[in-house]
Parts: sequence; structure tokens; C-alpha cells
Amino acid sequence: MYISKHMTSDPITVSSSMLLPEARALLNEYHFRHLPVVDREGKLVGMLTDRDLRSAYPSSVISDSERRLIYERVEKTAVSEIMSTECVFLNTDSTLDDALLLFDRDQMGALPVLDNDLVVGIFSIRDLTTAYKSAFGVGEKGAVMIGIYDDHSPAIMSRLVTLLEEQGVPFTRVLRVQDTKNGDSIYLRVNTFKIAAVLNLLEDNGFSVKRFT
Amino acid sequence: MFCEIDFMTSLTIISDERYLQHDTGGGDHPEIPARLQAVYQALDNSAFSAKFSYAAPRIAEREWLLQAHTEDWLFRFEEAVLSGRTFIDHNDNQVGYDSYDIACLSAGAGLAGIDLLEADKANNVFCLVRPPGHHAEKSIPFGFCFLNNCVVAARYWQQKYKRKRVLVFDFDAHHGNGIQSAFEEEKEGFYLSIHEHPSFSYPGTGYADEHGLGDGKGTILNLPLPPGGDDNQVQRLFEEIIPSQLEEWQPDAIIIGAGFDAHVADDMSGLHYSTELYQDIGREIKSWGQRFTGGKILSILEGGYELSVLGDSVEAYVRGLLKP
Repeated sequence: MYISKHMTSDPITVSSSMLLPEARALLNEYHFRHLPVVDREGKLVGMLTDRDLRSAYPSSVISDSERRLIYERVEKTAVSEIMSTECVFLNTDSTLDDALLLFDRDQMGALPVLDNDLVVGIFSIRDLTTAYKSAFGVGEKGAVMIGIYDDHSPAIMSRLVTLLEEQGVPFTRVLRVQDTKNGDSIYLRVNTFKIAAVLNLLEDNGFSVKRFT
Repeated sequence: MFCEIDFMTSLTIISDERYLQHDTGGGDHPEIPARLQAVYQALDNSAFSAKFSYAAPRIAEREWLLQAHTEDWLFRFEEAVLSGRTFIDHNDNQVGYDSYDIACLSAGAGLAGIDLLEADKANNVFCLVRPPGHHAEKSIPFGFCFLNNCVVAARYWQQKYKRKRVLVFDFDAHHGNGIQSAFEEEKEGFYLSIHEHPSFSYPGTGYADEHGLGDGKGTILNLPLPPGGDDNQVQRLFEEIIPSQLEEWQPDAIIIGAGFDAHVADDMSGLHYSTELYQDIGREIKSWGQRFTGGKILSILEGGYELSVLGDSVEAYVRGLLKP
């Protein structure tokens, strides 16, 4: 569950002396929103986002003359003047959970990934959702999530798994969720079309199945 | 007395006794020959039976199967059944010795139907087939499906008769992942599906935010309903969402993936449709035919597993298609 397996390696980076029009052209060309800013050795010195650029460029509601003036200034402005320098970053040995907590805390869209201070990758919130999507099997063809109520009866987990294995019901994920508000649950991603048969099997063996209707 | 049937107001049923020979091994498998027998019986007893005519399917030619499937898969499928395997890839996908041939005959029903429609020898065709098709991917069987009957028919219509703007409307309780996969990256072919929400239902695909990819953007419309989704929710989709989409798409051919497992009594889904809703669905589809395709509609049976209601549900659908 390391982010290095899910990040974009060797991302496009810019130098702090690059002028804003060039940086903007890069973001537009490649359709991304975050550019790590690096020094000559490739060490991270800042991050430039499309939001930083949008704030630097003139608003669409101001007069033409004002806009021209701002444009002239923007064209001579270097990335270093608008980039953020207090950067949150990940390391190659950061985990998906590390990234989730940082995204959740800082509401960032993407984070640079460093290896000994050098920028070696960029990891976006989209990379995170893709990684978790595959970890949880969301959208995986031929499978469906079913739920049972967790009554914490003795050996409930092993009884559950053994029953399914013995009856030849393929499943790929088992998730035990503590939920003081809605009740504790166990979710299983089972890979079969014959869901009704699985639910009946579970009920016949004393499990309390979540019927969603 | 011989009665000449007016094809323009009749229903042409394409089916074949050989469909009963696709052996899914007995036990608790829901996709069984008795499904078709239940449908035959309900249609025999229908007040509309005088309006039915019957036609034979044919084995789908390999060139058309290859428009929807890989050669590798066709070989693998044939070899698996001939070598005596009882299922392919997953024990949902039970097969018998004859299943390959029967699946080809199932896929060929649509082709025979399209020829009749195009020759003005039929106006409304219903293929009563098994195995079903809408879960079958290009080279993988899924959910009792081996060859994608709707996709094979769509390719045939598009290429042989140049009707490019095919609409496949699928009202089976389960998302037709195989149809979506076939259409989602191309600009021709529109897939519209009402199904139980994929978070609660097999095959776990068909989220509302999937609208197609690349050239196919805008050619997929998934309308998932929550567990318990009922007649009112379907009616609302027919009134508020679907008409504008069809007007925009302007289909020149209509294929219906007709599945009946969203019935409240069918435990293969959590949807709660009534038998009568299927009549409304039939009536709605008939109006689309009148609006876009000179009345021509090709329906192909997909799921529907509760034998006590399947026949009546199909009969209700047919009533909707035929009622003036």
C-alpha cells in the first residue's frame, strides 16, 4: 500500500525563474493543476498550482486598460513570486493512508513525492481514489458488496469465511466496520450472480443479513 | 381457417426448442430451461395470442460473432464445452455439451429478426432465447452470459443495414456491462439502462456517472435505482429523463434487452416492479418505435428467474407492445 506504486513518476517540474506565461502554457497543455518547482539539482523549492496562476492573472470583470497593465506585469513575473514555499510532501515510502490523511487535513489536490529531497513523483487525489477503488474492488465486474450485522458472537469472522469457502462462494474482500451510530457491520464483496442464494445461505446459518429494501 | 396475420400490428416471436437444451447443471442455478417454458405457456394463454406469428432463429455467422467477441474466446468457449467442462471461468457460467451451438443460435435470433424487420416481414420482433447475453464481455463470460446477443444484433444492424444510430435499451434489473463495454468508446450506439444500483447489485457496474469515454462520450446513460426501486421511479424516468435523451440521439434502430428480474417477487434483485409495470414499459417502447423507427422494434430476452411471475411479466410486456 505504498504510494510509489500509484504515483506519476518523473513529473514535469519547473524552475523558480520560469515566467508565468510559460508555466501556464505547461499546465494547459498537459491538463494538470500542480507543478513542483525545483532547483538545479531537482530539489523541491515550491509548488505552483493553477489556482496560484488564476489569482495572478487579471480578472475578467476589470477594464481593458487595467487588464493590459496587469498582463504586462504578469508576463515579467517569475514562478518564484507566486509559488507556495511551505510545501506538504510525501516520500517514496509513504503509504496510501499517509496520503489520505494529508489530503483530508490540507484539502490539497496533489502532493509532490520526494526521495532524499529530490522530486521523483507526484501523487494526486485521483491516484488515491483509483488506488482505493482497486483495493476495495469498487466497479469490479462480476462482484457485489453484501452486508451482515456484526453481533460479535464468538468466532463470527471465521464462521463466516469458512461457510463461504466450504460452500464455494467466491469472495474477494471482507471488511469489518465499527459504527456506534448505525451498528457494527461486516461487508463482503462476493463474486457471483447468485446473490439471493448467498444471502439465504448466510441466514440459514444464523447470520443476520442486511436487506436493503 | 387460415388467417393472414397483419405484420404491422403483430408480434413475431423468434424461438427454438433447442434453447431448452442449454444445460446449466440443475441444482440451484436460476437460469434454467423452465424459464422459457413458463414464457411459452403464458404467451399461449395470452388474450393477444392471435396476434403472434412465429419465425425460426439461425446460427449466428462467425463473421458477426466476431464483431462482438474475440476469436480466442469463441475457440475457448467451444473447446470448453466439447471437452466436457461444466462451467467456464466461474461456476455461475454453467454449460453443457451443446451450449456453444445453442449460444450461437441465441445470438442468431436477433439477426433473423433484423432481416425480417428490414424486409418488412415483421414490425415487432421478440427473441425468446437463452442463454442470455448482456453480461458477456468481448472475451469473458459473466453472469450466465456467453455471447452478447444484443451487441451481435447491434453490429449486424449497423453494418449490414447501415443503421448506425442503434439504441439498446436494457430494463433487466442488472446492468448490462458487456453492452456498455462494447459501446462506451465509440460514437455510434447508445446504451440506456435502468437497473438496481451497482453498490447493491450484480455485476457491480453501471454507475450513473459513466457516460462513455473518448469518442463515446454521451453514448451511455445509466439510470440506477436504489433497492426497493418501484413502478413510480421507473415511470418518472420515462417522463422526466429519457424522452429528451432519445430526442437528442434520434435512434434509427431500437434493440431492447428485455429482462424481467426486477419484479418484486424475483429474488435476483432488490427492485420492486409490479407485473403491470412491464405493460407500461412495453407501451413506452412502442411509442419510441412509432416516433423514431417506423414502429420497428427488436426485443431480446435477458434475465427473469422467478418462474411464478416470469411468464405473466413477459405477457404484460407484450401486451404493452401490441395494444393500440
